[in-house]
Amino acid sequence: MKMRTAMGGGIAVLAAAAVLAAGVPQARAEFPEKPVEMTVLFGGTASTIAQVLSETMAGELGEPVVPVSRTGGGGAVGYSHVMATAPDGYSIVWNSNSVNTTAHIGRVPYSYEDFVPIARVSEETPALAVSAEKGWTGLQDMARAVSGSDDHLKVGISGKGSFTHLVSAALFDAMGIADNVTFIAYGDGKAPVELLAGRIDAAIQWPGQFKSYLDSGDLNVLAVTGAKRIDLLPDVPTAQEQGVDIDITMWRGLAAPKGTPAPVVARLAAAAEAATQSEEFRKAAGNIGFMPAYAGPEEFAAVIARDDAFYAGLLDKLGLGK
Amino acid sequence: MEMFLHAAQLALDPWAVGAVGLGTFIGLVFGSIPGLTFTVALALALPITFAMDSIPATGLLLGTYIGGMTGGSVSAILLGIPGTPSAAATVIDGHPMAKRGEASIALGAAVVASVFGGLFSLLVMIVSVNLVSRLAIGFGPAEIFALVVFGLSTICGLCGGSMLKGLLSGVVGLMIMTVGMDQIEGVPRMTFGSISLMQGVSLLVAMIGLFAVPFIIEASSGTGGAADARATRVRAEMPGLRLLMSKGWLMVRCALLGTGIGAIPGTGGAIASFLAYDHARRMSPEKASFGKGNLDGVIAPETANNAVTGGTMIPLLSLGIPGDPATAIVLAGLMIHGISPGPALFMNHATEVYGMYAAIVLAYFWVLGLQLAGIRLFVHVLKIPRELLAAGVLVLCLIGAWSVRNSVFDIYAMGVIGVLAYLLVALRVPITPIILGMVLGPTIENEFRTALMLSGGSSDIFLHSPVALLFLGLAALVIVLQTVGELRLRAYKQKVNA
Repeated sequence: MKMRTAMGGGIAVLAAAAVLAAGVPQARAEFPEKPVEMTVLFGGTASTIAQVLSETMAGELGEPVVPVSRTGGGGAVGYSHVMATAPDGYSIVWNSNSVNTTAHIGRVPYSYEDFVPIARVSEETPALAVSAEKGWTGLQDMARAVSGSDDHLKVGISGKGSFTHLVSAALFDAMGIADNVTFIAYGDGKAPVELLAGRIDAAIQWPGQFKSYLDSGDLNVLAVTGAKRIDLLPDVPTAQEQGVDIDITMWRGLAAPKGTPAPVVARLAAAAEAATQSEEFRKAAGNIGFMPAYAGPEEFAAVIARDDAFYAGLLDKLGLGK
Repeated sequence: MEMFLHAAQLALDPWAVGAVGLGTFIGLVFGSIPGLTFTVALALALPITFAMDSIPATGLLLGTYIGGMTGGSVSAILLGIPGTPSAAATVIDGHPMAKRGEASIALGAAVVASVFGGLFSLLVMIVSVNLVSRLAIGFGPAEIFALVVFGLSTICGLCGGSMLKGLLSGVVGLMIMTVGMDQIEGVPRMTFGSISLMQGVSLLVAMIGLFAVPFIIEASSGTGGAADARATRVRAEMPGLRLLMSKGWLMVRCALLGTGIGAIPGTGGAIASFLAYDHARRMSPEKASFGKGNLDGVIAPETANNAVTGGTMIPLLSLGIPGDPATAIVLAGLMIHGISPGPALFMNHATEVYGMYAAIVLAYFWVLGLQLAGIRLFVHVLKIPRELLAAGVLVLCLIGAWSVRNSVFDIYAMGVIGVLAYLLVALRVPITPIILGMVLGPTIENEFRTALMLSGGSSDIFLHSPVALLFLGLAALVIVLQTVGELRLRAYKQKVNA
């Protein structure tokens, strides 16, 4: 660190002059001077969004942003790696509310407080799908059909303690049919097929998975679990519109190890904000099925803290808390 | 038809042809080099496609996928180190052929078989995508579990001498895969509180350790006397047309098998190639020559694993389900270009779908051209002194193991598994069943548990499904035939000795 400052001295004077001319505060000129590494915790959409984000952010920062995949352990591997790196802004993590859920399930030596929030970048809203053959068109149809029978509703989830599990549990609890539900864990991405084949009755997954099946008329999507409808499925009402009080979405954002200097965080947040407004990022959002949802460091911190309390309560209720 | 011509025009645009060629080349290089895998190549190629039009972009990804699947056979045959898990079965007979100086024949046959398998499966896919995807939907957890049990039963045929040692080795593979986060309950297993162990052992890393490390240890410990003998016998003789024609029926059977397996979500290239290998061995009049360099033992798995490429396209395009990590990256590439796979794909994106078909055909022409030209060069690898080759392989394996998950843990994992593999080789325990156990372990466990969740804990779910019963029956048949065969052989030997 010291050596870099000494060596960079001469260049910094020149750079500062150039940057001052452009009207950017001097403190930000020092960062970044080398590539920023962005640890990605999951495959699938998480990884795809990260790649689009890093390309657009690199354009803003003038240095490459390199997405590096460190998957496994429900995000534990990647979070632990980033937590152990120097808090200088060159190692950041593409995080999600998995930081809250894994911490409360209690098998990891960190919590959200070990990271400095940089910015919330995107939001994904889960959707509840059922086979079109069921003839259910809304949550009330489903609740009536289920509570009137002894049969248990088979609900597909990605795995115990996974986000889809938590959302499902919260939704069915709010609908008052929590006791009539059996959860079935299956591999990621298989929800539509299991529904079509009739092996499960309902599944909560990302809307992108259901889109094509909704278009073809094979599946009905009864509700999205956020407070607002989503662009990908504009005709699908929210749970709240149907009288079920629930508002759960999954955010993704960027965080750095605790102790990262505020000006560096601000610089990264500015780059993330510009990226979320770019044409390229918005187009990818439409195609993949997520919403760009920028929130600066302070607002993001509030979101994380609020979620943390929410998931602590939910996991406790499900008997999954530590 | 008009749409098809339009798509063909887009796919035959010089940029698109070049993109497919580039992808195929990248895939072949990553697939051929021991240690580097084409899943990594796909991950590297994905960001390049963001700025491209949808048809060249999907062409680049499909080319990488197909090139990688084909390239895996090169180091499997030349060095006995499979480039991909799907090529693990090719080692068994391909490598002995190389030792005999017939490397180019094995490689040539592998390329032709791969191209045949790939194009055959594409044809099946185009003709029957809707029908097959409807059938694939019928494969629930119970059916997939039974299919995987059948796949696991092929261990019987991989044992070499002793069935006990083969089973032992298969169980080691199954056990290794229980390390890490359990996917169903989300509970860490065998991690001893270590975060690194929570990610589990990567199949690709283990494969590098199992096959490459024993090679490196042997080569550098001075047991390379055979090397000079080999070097003098390097020829670049290609398999004749007549020879290949005589294997036509075998290729058709294995291509059908590969397409079928590929179409079932959650299976993939490795299980198809092992089943095809086992099938070829059982049907062959010269069973005894398998494992010692029988050409059928190269052709069968190579046809089947490339037939899987067309097969996996069926659930990928018509159901939106990726069959393995490699196709998951292809799926991401499609999504980013607004092509969302599923039943409405053929309504909304018919042009792109036809473009993909054209790209796959093109990729196989590239594979054929590049590989047939390349083989003449590849065989000269055998002239390199083994200890120097081992040094190079070591470097590539370290890079390869690290690059799978960007994790230093994986380098240690490769080392530990490699030393274990070396010891097993020294004890004459076959190591191929380990890789089979590792490939099938997570699937067999998860599908079994999911099936029982669906049935509320009752094992009836396996007995009430005709498909599941069929595969379980086939597995039982394989085990009985193998046991009877071995007992007879033992009795015969005793008689001869007495």
